[in-house]
Amino acid sequence: MTEIIQVTIFGLLLGGVYALFASGLTLAFGVMRIVNLAHAVFIVAAAYVAFFAFDILGIDPLLAVIFIMPIFFIIGVGVYIALFTRIEGSARYVEMTVLLTFGIAIMIEGLLGWRFTGIFRQAAPGYLTDAFFIGDFLVPTGQFFAAMLSLVLLIGLWAFLRFTRTGYGIRATMQNRAAAQLVGVNVRRVAAISFGISAALAGASGALMSYLFPFFPFRHWQWIALLLALVVLGGMGSLKGAVVGALILGVASSLVVDRIGPGWGPMTFYAALFLILLVRPRGLFGKEVAA
Amino acid sequence: MALLEVRDVDAGYGQGPDILKGLSLEVEAGRSYCIIGPNGAGKSTLLKVISGLLPPRSGEVAFRDVPFNGARPDQILAAGICFVPQDQAVFAEMSVRENLTMGAYLVRDRSVIKERMDRVFELFPILAERASLDGGKLSGGQQQMLALGRALMIDPEVLMLDEPSLGLAPQIADQIFTTIRGLEELGITIVMVEQNAVRGLELAEWGVVLDLGIVRFQGPADTILADSRIRELYLGKAVDTKDAS
Repeated sequence: MTEIIQVTIFGLLLGGVYALFASGLTLAFGVMRIVNLAHAVFIVAAAYVAFFAFDILGIDPLLAVIFIMPIFFIIGVGVYIALFTRIEGSARYVEMTVLLTFGIAIMIEGLLGWRFTGIFRQAAPGYLTDAFFIGDFLVPTGQFFAAMLSLVLLIGLWAFLRFTRTGYGIRATMQNRAAAQLVGVNVRRVAAISFGISAALAGASGALMSYLFPFFPFRHWQWIALLLALVVLGGMGSLKGAVVGALILGVASSLVVDRIGPGWGPMTFYAALFLILLVRPRGLFGKEVAA
Repeated sequence: MALLEVRDVDAGYGQGPDILKGLSLEVEAGRSYCIIGPNGAGKSTLLKVISGLLPPRSGEVAFRDVPFNGARPDQILAAGICFVPQDQAVFAEMSVRENLTMGAYLVRDRSVIKERMDRVFELFPILAERASLDGGKLSGGQQQMLALGRALMIDPEVLMLDEPSLGLAPQIADQIFTTIRGLEELGITIVMVEQNAVRGLELAEWGVVLDLGIVRFQGPADTILADSRIRELYLGKAVDTKDAS
């Protein structure tokens, strides 16, 4: 029993981080119907920024979030205005976003590989190998910090969406784009801001990735597969779904790794995805797809 | 000078044919309009063009003699023209109160928002009772009231309604029509499309008959109701049942 609780703690810490990784992806889909295959490559790019900030300037990855998020917000808004506004009126908009973001992903991956080569990187702040005990249970300090930062950012995102005027506009656009326009929401502005927030969340995710998960440019494909599985499990475009899905899968994969073996961890995601699509195709919190 | 002017507008969807074919219409301030015509005549399309949801292929819409020239829906709303579309108009996962707050998205003054919300709650007490319920959980009639109430939050000069009574039980439709009449009396210019043509024409002062993308006929609503040719062509069944009863 103790062991299961211990493994569950590991799983929740991991799931909290996954939730942050997936939040930007689901936001982009929810507001703009963008299936952003480049989300994970944004995360990896941010991981490089955090890695070098730590390696060269000695800035802690957790603190690096303070400048990485605004930079990525601006990049996100710029990318949206430069590329996505062009395909706005397209009849096959969602399909176009898949192709466009696929192209962006390959391009950024190529740039990263060219500048930084394909070797594994991992920032090593002091707390990386530390751990502390809560009662009988071991808590790795680095993962604990990462989960706490994720929690703070997700609560911040929730409060922003819930209480600010722009947040109202974003939620309204997610729920009913035409009606949002008719009550005076400038949906193009909302979309650009949302994509900026999505990229800023990728930026924060990258700062955490820089020390939690060894990375190299090509790694983003593995991550985007996992994150898409998460987002589909929770329901495309649902933030609540992404968080709950991430926590469930974080715990499930930790249990699988503990009981069956480390090689089976990633399998958990795809098995869960397979099951949920069989039983509930719209995901846990997804909206019914109109016929 | 007309308050709102539609000049030679061609409009359609995607690569499809023109639905509106050189349509022109003038809307006078303070008058209420009912647009009738067969399915596919372009009634909803006309409202979408005026609201900015569908940019016209040619021609223009002018408000107070200022052409919109590709203005966005939020800019057109800010100018004073509010559109309540036919279906799925509410935010399903926002509470009634949040829906109404969204209606006042362009209003920055909180006390004004509060005042208008109280007025809407007075108009539709059922909405006050369900203020915390999600919009999507309301019945069809209540959603229609919510959509109408939300439109009033902006205090529009022109209110465009697309089939406000569609799919509603008769008593609920009555209540909606009574409310619309009240808005007319407040001096709001109403432009409505109504599938219940007789009902709509009884309510409105001015009738506009649309067919095949142009205005076939327009005139005082009672004249249109009395015109035997129009009754036969466009009011068809609705008149028969009324006459029979």
